[in-house]
Amino acid sequence: MIPAVHLDLRAHACPITWVKARIALSRLAPGEVLELLLRDGEARENIPRSAEEEGHEVLRLAPAPEEGPGAWRAWLARGASGEVPSWP
Amino acid sequence: MALSETEVARWSRQLLLPGMGEASQELLRGARVRVTGGGLATAPAIYYLAAAGVGTIWIEDSDPVTPGCGAGFALGPEDEGRAKGAALVEFGRWASGFLAADPYRAGSRPTALVVCGSSLDVSRAIADEARLLRLPHVVADVDGQGGAVTTVPVGSPCYSCGSRPGLGAAPTAEGGAAMGALAALELVLLLTGASTEPRARRIEVFRGTPLVRATARQAGCACAGPAAAGLAP
Repeated sequence: MIPAVHLDLRAHACPITWVKARIALSRLAPGEVLELLLRDGEARENIPRSAEEEGHEVLRLAPAPEEGPGAWRAWLARGASGEVPSWP
Repeated sequence: MALSETEVARWSRQLLLPGMGEASQELLRGARVRVTGGGLATAPAIYYLAAAGVGTIWIEDSDPVTPGCGAGFALGPEDEGRAKGAALVEFGRWASGFLAADPYRAGSRPTALVVCGSSLDVSRAIADEARLLRLPHVVADVDGQGGAVTTVPVGSPCYSCGSRPGLGAAPTAEGGAAMGALAALELVLLLTGASTEPRARRIEVFRGTPLVRATARQAGCACAGPAAAGLAP
């Protein structure tokens, strides 16, 4: 599976990391894959969890030492509905 | 057009809210909202519309700024004597560097209205104009320290159908702030579709307690005519 979009979020902090990932996911078709480069810590912990909460799938989350110390790579597949949860 | 990096950074918290996203923010950026009526809710409504990312606000208020005009939320003593509309335009530009704020000019084509009438009659007249122009609108009525906000999507029961007499208390700045903020939020939800709740509704706030009810068309009201059915030119 080839990621449709690559996004390096290592220069950003919360909440911009998830905002950018969320926008990138919203631009994909259901099933398409977004590849993220993340820093260890907040981004690695929160982005996969937030993505799953919104119906996306975490295909892979692994260290990426070739990208530098503390780098992680995540592959997220856009969920089928593609709907952003609405207010109650 | 997609949001810029600067816009993403500016609206980052709002972009995370349920129902909001890039498309919603783009809808707000493309909105042209006429804020009118001269009531106490005007300045707070402008502030919160600007803070939400509405792209264009046209302000209509020809009264002068006076010590008791209730715009202390936005204007200071140095503004006294100026046209309130012009002073509020400057306030809107201060509230958001992304906002194009200008005085309303006849012939301009807004996409929605926020009606902050100085009286129920003023609100009713402007809301009726908006209904005939088939523009979605939100009406803020200030009543003492509370009031009511009526949301009128196109084709839904009109403001006159949805409203009912309040306490009739003298409007206060606190009531204006609450109703202006609530009106701005209602318009944001209306423009973005970020809520699954029925949009044609009235929220009444008295003694700090909100009461939300869907509006219903009154028998014989003009809003049930051809304009409501989408048959008017």
